[in-house]
Amino acid sequence: MNEVFSLDMKGVSKQFPGTLAVDNVDFQVKAGEVHALLGENGAGKSTLMKMIAGAFSDYTGQICVLGENVELCSPSAAKAKGVGMVYQELSLAMPLTIAENVLAGRLPTKGKIFIDKKAMREQTIECLKRVGLGHLDPFSCIKEISQQEAQLVEIAKTLGNNPNILVMDEPTSSLSREEVKLLFGIIEKLKKQGLAIIYISHHLPELFEIADRVTIMRDGKKIGTYNIDEVTTKSLVEMMVGRPIDDKPIKVKNQVLGEEKLRIENLTRNGFFHDVSFNVRANEVLGIGGLSGAGRSELARGIVGADAIDSGKIYIKGKEVRIKNMSQALEHGVAYLTENRKEEGLALRITIGENILAPLLKKHTKNGIYSAKSGASEVLEVMKELKVYPPDPTVTVGNLSGGNQQKVLLGKWVATKPQILILDEPTRGVDVGAKMVIHDTIRRLASEGNAVILISSDLPELVALSDRVKIMKEGRFIGELIKEDLSEETILLAANGEGDKLSEDIYAS
Amino acid sequence: MQANTENQDVRKREMGKVSSIISKLGVYVLVIALMILGTIISPKFLTTSNFMNIIQAVSLLGIVAAGVSFVTYSGNFVDMSIPCIMAFSGMIAVDTLKYGIVVSILCGLSTGLVIGIINGTVVGKLKANPIIWTLSVAFVGSGFMRWFYSGKQIYPDVNGGAAAEVFISLSRTNVFGTIPLIVIVMIIFMILGQFVMTKTKFGKQVKLVGSSYEVAKMTGINVNGVVSGAFIVTALTASIAGIFLTSLAKTGAFYNGEGYDFNAVTAIVIGGMTLTGGRGDVVGVLGGVLVIGLLSNVMTLIGINTFSQSIVKGIIFIAVVGINARSLRKLGRDDA
Repeated sequence: MNEVFSLDMKGVSKQFPGTLAVDNVDFQVKAGEVHALLGENGAGKSTLMKMIAGAFSDYTGQICVLGENVELCSPSAAKAKGVGMVYQELSLAMPLTIAENVLAGRLPTKGKIFIDKKAMREQTIECLKRVGLGHLDPFSCIKEISQQEAQLVEIAKTLGNNPNILVMDEPTSSLSREEVKLLFGIIEKLKKQGLAIIYISHHLPELFEIADRVTIMRDGKKIGTYNIDEVTTKSLVEMMVGRPIDDKPIKVKNQVLGEEKLRIENLTRNGFFHDVSFNVRANEVLGIGGLSGAGRSELARGIVGADAIDSGKIYIKGKEVRIKNMSQALEHGVAYLTENRKEEGLALRITIGENILAPLLKKHTKNGIYSAKSGASEVLEVMKELKVYPPDPTVTVGNLSGGNQQKVLLGKWVATKPQILILDEPTRGVDVGAKMVIHDTIRRLASEGNAVILISSDLPELVALSDRVKIMKEGRFIGELIKEDLSEETILLAANGEGDKLSEDIYAS
Repeated sequence: MQANTENQDVRKREMGKVSSIISKLGVYVLVIALMILGTIISPKFLTTSNFMNIIQAVSLLGIVAAGVSFVTYSGNFVDMSIPCIMAFSGMIAVDTLKYGIVVSILCGLSTGLVIGIINGTVVGKLKANPIIWTLSVAFVGSGFMRWFYSGKQIYPDVNGGAAAEVFISLSRTNVFGTIPLIVIVMIIFMILGQFVMTKTKFGKQVKLVGSSYEVAKMTGINVNGVVSGAFIVTALTASIAGIFLTSLAKTGAFYNGEGYDFNAVTAIVIGGMTLTGGRGDVVGVLGGVLVIGLLSNVMTLIGINTFSQSIVKGIIFIAVVGINARSLRKLGRDDA
């Protein structure tokens, strides 16, 4: 008799109308291991995980949990069999308390009518202790705790159901470096308690820290399962994209910088960012680094007029401007790619073409009549450059994979031909292939005499693309790193206010 | 490997095309089915005069629905103040008949315009909940009318003088001898509505705001202006329908227009426009209006009384909402 796996999927498939999202996959996870699941967006990872979570009633193949053949046809069935899911996006109810969230669906009662507050407190603290949050007040609201704590509460909630299998989908995407460390400590602890943990992440270096084994998927099929010491970042990426790649990101030679495109002087929005000054020139990519919550997105929103600023001046090409809203920003040639593509970036229910042309409605309107035709060539052009798949502008954006959605989002702003492009986490949660395409486009834009401001928590990205990096901490610029000093370590140290490479922040042009 | 995925995706897209054609035709399938049903049931059904009856009966609803569809399209569900706008515009028009027919109609339309601007400003700029706000306007408006006119109805032939005759004949005029003016106006509004919704910048902006308010805002769309515009369009069409209705009833009364809000939503939803906005078009809404007209006609021919008819309408409304939600989910379009 073979080893009994915590989860053993044999020949599972899931058909969507017209596509086979998961194609005859075998997938085993042992108790007490962290098993990473890798693949590009659209490779079938999410579908496979939804299958485990009981989201589909019409999959084929066999699923065994702890050696027992089970049918995971509904979320409650999956929960009963010991499957716990922690999703990328928080699924906590913001206005409710921690206790109400953690104990949702199984609130302790007195006489089956009244809520037993005391038991509630005890049980919640019990759960919170497992994720190192024993100090939190179970009756404070989710709104009152930090993003990272909320993420951990989410895990605590899932652990409350005593799962045997814990699925974590991109749990670190919104966490800063230290917070990730903390989370990994907790994962290690859970592993020792005998949980089987399935870990999904696009962040490859993380996997080498935390995973024991890794399974790679591509186009709905399993490519292979390996022990983590059998693979390298390079071999993983090659298996994911299905072709050999150059492992060194192309470091473009220092461009000759052109005229000053944008200058910010003492920009302040009380409570969010203070006295921020910088300039960015043609052909330059200015990185802005810092921990999450440092005020980087707020700064970008302040520049484009999405939020009102309290004081400070903005100069575009040497002329002072006042930007009150996005429409005025666009008129000045400033485009802003927002960090959350699903809420502020793309209208998911309309087509690729409609999304790309959304900022260009005015341009394609003549005598009050709008003509999508006159923009068709522009749409195809950006779709071609960004290799959007499927290459059909009439496809609804919501049906695209995350990577392709992000390409469309960038395409939408590229199509406006901006002189100053502000990018806020342009590659969050996208796969390696999409990332390369997006990086190429950013480089092209900068090399054509535009200015790019890149806000990113992805350190390799910041290092590879930026000409210099401003470091933001608690709403202020605390310094600048020049190209020669750029590395993941220097940025990380600087973001925490340390490191000797950090120059005085005197903005010089 | 790559080729394989491409094939799969092509299939997926073709399926999507077929489904989208079906979902586009959807309401007209229902129209045709009802026409076949009517033909089988009664020999009187398939006659020109019966068809004219059907269309005339829904023409006011059609005018209102063409306008309200902009509010729905913009993601603001529905304008509950429609009955109030219709009644108010009618009463003001009657009240001002003594200054001549042109002044009367202009005053009636201005009434709608003013309420539309108020709705647009409060919902668009101040971000009030559209249903609660327009419902409140309906209450306040109808209360105001009752107080101002002491709860009385007013009659054009009493107040109006010479202009009264013209006013009353508005809804009784035939163009080209056979086609009522109301029907012509409805057809013009449907064509105009479809054109504005699909071919103009304003229409595209409404669609974007309806698809995602935040995205539209961060894309540089004047979201306040667009939402205001949608409410003003709705109010204007409602006041035109209100003037016709008052002319038809020969009475200005605070209860004129009752039920037009729900009927318009029914037509819009049956016509394939989703209440969350950004999806559907005026051609579909026309189909929804026709379904309501045909349904009443067929049921009357069978001999079902008015009360039972509303039960049937309600059931069909529920069924359509259910089927729509289900098919959208199947198509993977439900917000994704």
